[in-house]
Amino acid sequence: MGDLFSNLGLGFSTVFQFVQWTPAFLGGMSIPLPINILLCLIGALVGTLVGVLPGIGTIATVAMLLPITFGLPPVGALIMLAGIYYGAQYGGSTTSILVNIPGEAGSVVTALDGFQMAKQGRAGPALAIAAIGSFFAGCVATVLIAVLGAPLTKLALAFGPAEYFSLMVLGLIFAVVLAKGSVLKAIAMIVFGLLLSMVGSDIETGASRMSFNIPELADGLGFATVAMGLFGFAEIIRNLDAGGEEDRQLVQQKVTGLMPTKKDLKDSAPAILRGTVLGSILGILPGGGAVIASFAAYTLEKKLSKDPKRFGRGAIEGVAAPESANNAAAQTSFIPLLTLGIPPNAVMALMVGAMTIHGIVPGPQVMQKQPELVWGMIASMWIGNLMLLVINLPMVGIWVRLLRVPYRLMFPSIVVFCSIGIYSVNNAPMDVVLAGVFGLLGYWLIKHDFEPAPLLLGMVLGPLMEENLRRALLISRGDATVFFTRPLSATLMAISAFLLILAVLPALRKKRDEVFVESES
Amino acid sequence: MSDAPSHAPEKSILPSWVKGPQDFIGGLALVAIAAFALWASSDLQGMHGFSFGAGTAPRMFGILLLGLGAAVTVVGIFTEGPGLSKFHWRGPFFVALAILVFAVGIRPMGMIFAAMSSFLIAALGTPETRWKETIIVGACLTGFCALLFPYALGLPLQMWPTFLIR
Amino acid sequence: MKLFNRRVAISGLAAVAGFGALATTVQAQEYPTRNITMIVPFAAGGPTDVIARIVAADMSKTLGQQIIIENVVGAGGTTGATRAARAANDGYTIITGHMGTHAAAVPLYPKLAYHPEKDFEPVALLAGTPILILAKKDFAPKDLKEFVTYVKANSDKLNMAHAGVGSVSYSSCELLSSVLDIKPTGVPFNGTGPAMNALVGGQVDYMCDQIVNAVPQIKGGTIKAYAIATPDRNPSLPDVPTTIEAGLPKYQASAWNAIFAPKGTPAAITAKLNAAAAKALDDENVKKRLLDLGSDIPKPEARTQAALGSLVKSEVEKWSAVLKPAM
Repeated sequence: MGDLFSNLGLGFSTVFQFVQWTPAFLGGMSIPLPINILLCLIGALVGTLVGVLPGIGTIATVAMLLPITFGLPPVGALIMLAGIYYGAQYGGSTTSILVNIPGEAGSVVTALDGFQMAKQGRAGPALAIAAIGSFFAGCVATVLIAVLGAPLTKLALAFGPAEYFSLMVLGLIFAVVLAKGSVLKAIAMIVFGLLLSMVGSDIETGASRMSFNIPELADGLGFATVAMGLFGFAEIIRNLDAGGEEDRQLVQQKVTGLMPTKKDLKDSAPAILRGTVLGSILGILPGGGAVIASFAAYTLEKKLSKDPKRFGRGAIEGVAAPESANNAAAQTSFIPLLTLGIPPNAVMALMVGAMTIHGIVPGPQVMQKQPELVWGMIASMWIGNLMLLVINLPMVGIWVRLLRVPYRLMFPSIVVFCSIGIYSVNNAPMDVVLAGVFGLLGYWLIKHDFEPAPLLLGMVLGPLMEENLRRALLISRGDATVFFTRPLSATLMAISAFLLILAVLPALRKKRDEVFVESES
Repeated sequence: MSDAPSHAPEKSILPSWVKGPQDFIGGLALVAIAAFALWASSDLQGMHGFSFGAGTAPRMFGILLLGLGAAVTVVGIFTEGPGLSKFHWRGPFFVALAILVFAVGIRPMGMIFAAMSSFLIAALGTPETRWKETIIVGACLTGFCALLFPYALGLPLQMWPTFLIR
Repeated sequence: MKLFNRRVAISGLAAVAGFGALATTVQAQEYPTRNITMIVPFAAGGPTDVIARIVAADMSKTLGQQIIIENVVGAGGTTGATRAARAANDGYTIITGHMGTHAAAVPLYPKLAYHPEKDFEPVALLAGTPILILAKKDFAPKDLKEFVTYVKANSDKLNMAHAGVGSVSYSSCELLSSVLDIKPTGVPFNGTGPAMNALVGGQVDYMCDQIVNAVPQIKGGTIKAYAIATPDRNPSLPDVPTTIEAGLPKYQASAWNAIFAPKGTPAAITAKLNAAAAKALDDENVKKRLLDLGSDIPKPEARTQAALGSLVKSEVEKWSAVLKPAM
């Protein structure tokens, strides 16, 4: 324990480092500046502002802002990048809640209830609870990394292809539970998403699949492209249907408080706690753990709730839990990077890139060799989360005011921002066209009462599932029993089976209930 | 891809034994998508020995979607469900056109032109547009983007038409 | 804005009016008069991107105009290379390609929309990252000789990881298999990170990869390296023998990175770029940062445009013999 405190002390002293600033106009007077804290603050602010732009997700934001850190000293650069990362994530959640445009897989779930809350005039509490939940999750996860970082690494290493496949099966079952309407149609949407995820080149043979020789399809459909179409553009088109404007005006008049009520806080507290725990555990698993964190948390809340029907219709727990899980996972996903030097996802790969540009090569020894860097980063995570709270609670009012912009001006702006956003990710005009096509598809799906969320999750999980299944079977030389003989994998499969039974049972019971209700009336 | 809005049949076209037209048509469209995917992946290699081929998973999911689409269709025949919703053409048409104009224009014409024209075309999507206000907001937005993306974010976006630069 | 620069405006008018040749001469003499876009066909932060950024920063100083990096990711780098091949050959669009995009892609992608020799002018060789033969830390063989015998004897039981078809790791793994004349089970991963994770976790037995990704793991003792596939040992891993010393001289591989320009870019311009790149490689600061990454800095005789042209030619031949089309 003493070690822990001295380590954290080292971290905080790095973060709180003061630099004497002697500007010429003060005539030789110097001002001590907490340079790293300022960098963290700027990073979080810029990250939030860019992340808020529809069409630009977390990865795109970090990639875009990466070059601005090149001129800084290494520790400062990394602290700023961490700030950008959290800011971008929170900015993405803001867009999901306000205009129903998720920039990454995690925010899809936030959009479900968050946007409904916004429609009911409760965007303020939704945004606030997202910030509060994220902050709490961030605090817990920071402590967790400091205390258990090294031992938890073993978990990341114990996860082989078989375990990942089982985890993805579990993820698919979560996706079913997300649905608020027909289970059959939700499953159909998941499979549609899985099918869409097959587009692109095959990882093992490199063969191009269903890409019709369009070079932009060679690496598959981008998540942001599809999400922007199915959520962003489709939502706009639907709103343009007759009656859209009246609906929007109603929303604007309904705006009640900006901050959550006591009841909101009481409802969300357990959700935040559970979300934090789930997110922290799943975030450690490289390559896919963090993806399913937010919807695992959502599913858990929906299952535990006394009134699951509220979910998808503006339940505050439906925002609190996934946001906490998402942020906790974002935090713990640093563990494999800090202890092993292996980037577990695309954002972390960018971080490694930033480190190498600064001449730091992350690896298993980075903890011993550059403790001020590692602990500085851990400390800055906490500071970063605090900054988010400081920046975003006051901004809630501004964001909510944005909703008052007349829709006739708002929607063309969203179209332009989304188009620029999508284009700027790969500099590919074709991506913009594809998003438009998915917009029309999304409009059609809405008209036929198919939900886009399970489709998107299917799309995210598809490649992870297929690749790990194939890897596992290659390694086991075709023996499919590996999924049940490896203890971790078997446990995950058992949980899946259990959840499936839980999901099917109430469906059967509900049928009886509905019959009962009808006969009574 | 499914651009079904344009050729979604009217309610009267469907025979009376279809109780849930919404699901019926939805299911049929999924079947069509699945069939298309199966055709598109038919040239890919299947299983070889114990290992998957490139085509194994797409085919698996294709067949699964075919079955699920059929199931949704059957549900649409036998269960009372909502009718087809009305599709409007104005919103989808102009929003899609705005996106297309942006995509086609961004490389040769630069961002300023692409963003402004895309904004104005999208605004045609609703009868509520007031032109004076729209043009002012469009110009401001374009100006904002022209400052934000290349300067604040340092993205290599081209601002002006190519023939002016060269 | 640059638009109002008179020289540019005049040369622009000339080009529009059809005086292409005149404009080109003007441009070649004055070059560069505006920012140069350098396409990096890989994600920001990857080995090629890092090398390109370090060198480009110094080249910008020499040329007096900013070199802006544009990451165009996709299909093993061929998406970005295709775009560069089709770009205007006025010297304002250049690309940092590597062993994959400008050699191995030829046999891998039969439908490739460009040819490294026919569609590009060689500009400057930057730095190479040597390939290592790596294995999980408790892999039985003690040295490369034992490794060769062991892998040959057990090739049907062992799992070789690679970072996906089209990656440097894939190509260098295939080269190893062809040198050893074996057909191991290749387990594909989505990039170097996950592949390294599986190797550290012992899920797979061995792999080949670029030095940048492996040095920290080797130093940390989580994996082991049998040999480095270059003629000389590398200063960042002085204890790792070369394949020549360790008895597998036929296995030579390095992920070289180089600047190319679209075919037909005026020779005066490519020469200017070549000189700027050579100057960057001699800068002490640039040198140190590249060496820290474990990369090889090309000797002066390898830095000429002609040398790069023949390197591309020989590399295309070498990989065409080893790699099969990915369909």
